[in-house]
Amino acid sequence: MSLPCGIRNFSYYTDTAIIRTRTQWLLFALFLIILFTFPLYVPKYWLGVINLVGITVISIIGLNILVGYCGQLSIGHAGFMAVGAYTTAILTNNLGMPYLAAFVCSGLSAGIIGLIFGMPSLRVRGFYLAITTIAAQFIIIWVINHWTDVTQGFMGISISQASIGDFIFNSESKQFYLIIPITALCVLFATNLARSRIGRAFIAVRDNDLAAEVMGINVFAYKLLAFFLGCFFAGIAGSLFAQWVGFMNGENFTFGDSILYVGMIIIGGLGTSLGPILGAVLIRFLQQFVIFLSPMIEHTFQGLPTGFATGISSMVFGLVIILFLVFEPRGLAHRWSLFKASYRLWPFPY
Amino acid sequence: MAEFIQYTITGIAVGMIYALIALGFALIWKSSRVANLALGQLVLISSWFTYSMTVQAKLPLWLGMVLTVLFAIFLGWVIERFTLRPLIGQPILSLIAVTLGIAYFIEGLVTFVWPVSVAALPRFFPLEPINIGPAVVSQEYIWAAAISLLLFGLLSLFFKYHKMGIAMRATADDQLAIQACAVPITRIFSMSWIFACIVAAIGGILISSIGGITYGLVETGFKSFSVVILGGMDSFIGCMVAGPIIGLCENIGAGYLTPLIGPGIKDLIPFIIIIIVMLIKPYGLFGEERIERI
Repeated sequence: MSLPCGIRNFSYYTDTAIIRTRTQWLLFALFLIILFTFPLYVPKYWLGVINLVGITVISIIGLNILVGYCGQLSIGHAGFMAVGAYTTAILTNNLGMPYLAAFVCSGLSAGIIGLIFGMPSLRVRGFYLAITTIAAQFIIIWVINHWTDVTQGFMGISISQASIGDFIFNSESKQFYLIIPITALCVLFATNLARSRIGRAFIAVRDNDLAAEVMGINVFAYKLLAFFLGCFFAGIAGSLFAQWVGFMNGENFTFGDSILYVGMIIIGGLGTSLGPILGAVLIRFLQQFVIFLSPMIEHTFQGLPTGFATGISSMVFGLVIILFLVFEPRGLAHRWSLFKASYRLWPFPY
Repeated sequence: MAEFIQYTITGIAVGMIYALIALGFALIWKSSRVANLALGQLVLISSWFTYSMTVQAKLPLWLGMVLTVLFAIFLGWVIERFTLRPLIGQPILSLIAVTLGIAYFIEGLVTFVWPVSVAALPRFFPLEPINIGPAVVSQEYIWAAAISLLLFGLLSLFFKYHKMGIAMRATADDQLAIQACAVPITRIFSMSWIFACIVAAIGGILISSIGGITYGLVETGFKSFSVVILGGMDSFIGCMVAGPIIGLCENIGAGYLTPLIGPGIKDLIPFIIIIIVMLIKPYGLFGEERIERI
């Protein structure tokens, strides 16, 4: 059901095309036009939310490569993001590096830290690996909090906004034009990566690493590559986050965030290119909804102790993760493909 | 010297509590191969529940404890019945992720019901410190260690002689064989979660009677992970040996390293141990080494 009714592929070129028919091109162009004109009519606050969604999408695309395609569970993704964010902060503040160079360095540094913590994946998997990445998360944040000479610890560090040459991205709409194109490029890269030799090797390692090795895939190298790529994305997302938020400390990258990222790709759909986008959009907008709702709930139940509504968001996300795992373990992306298949066949049942 | 003895004794005592909580993890892992990452959150919520019963509702201490254990039984049953059972047979990733979801949910629930962040349980151990050689140790630690040891003994007897205990060990050994013997395997899973919640609750009461109830109890869960990793995931003995080791490393390390490195090193030590064990001996001291190529 990957093609609309009556469409056939007669050449490799059309077979590998992501966007195949004229209608799809039209819809895609329309989508791009609507997306890139957002700053014209979306209020500033919501533009900020969209920017955050973009950053989140970049980060969990990396997590999706690692968990969804290569099957190596990582629950320390926020920690790797922190590495990228602090690299940008230190390089631009202390060394005066231009933002773009710092941006690339952030990805690389996070990737290298990811490689170090990915080493145990050569010997262990499943829960053991999960616990190692949890340890990574806490060690990274601890170092950030206590290496005060460089990171300013709990005090937090402030970062100036990104600039290219003399152009400074100093408003939400300018940030939008920085973040969203990078997000789009990352989505394109990840989609193509999954279809390439590397992506297929990742999937083979995930599904059966023994069989993958027999087929001639260097399992160690590909696992480490997955860690590097996954953490590289986390690093560049962290870099964008740092300059977007302007001021941060270790509290911006908690263990709870790491869990939330894993939750997002599960909700979106593991091992699909659409999954991270759907998961990030759903969870971030749900967060906004809870933020909007909490004061009203506090107002309605005034007999209860103050501050109780702060727990609501955690409860909602925990519940959403559990419900998705129980009722729709393949995520929203699977729902979407079912829907697509059914409307292409409509009005026939099959 | 006095310092050293003090660190050793408190370290071993706290380590025993970690071991007790870790036992709950090993139980679930052995019977159903589910890695319960919500350990710290179970400790947190049962400590808060005890607080509600004994301080807020002003019930007598013993009744509060009994109610906490009942609450733990209920919690364990609910978690197993409504989240883990529908996922039987799913890949390990889903099983780990669902416990993360539970952890997130419980944390939210705790903030929702008890928005105050710090509280203290009533002291129920004698308060006078005792002298051991040159060191002065608070009695609470000794009591906590003794209770943990007692519980560990009781649980070992249960697993050795009680019918249910034997069935649980058999499930850990071979799930197909035990199903062929007409043992309802889902009930075993349910029981293992209930036991895990009970030991987490008791561990929580012990540790929060010493240190008070804070968000830091979640970290007790992480420390218990390091116990499990060091001891080997499917070994009860491993838990009991590794628990005091972790406690010792943590207390002695914190005592002597804090002046050198700075405050907060205490929280990091369990994670460093995890990384070291992963790189050197991933299946732990007593864990079953499965021969497989990865």
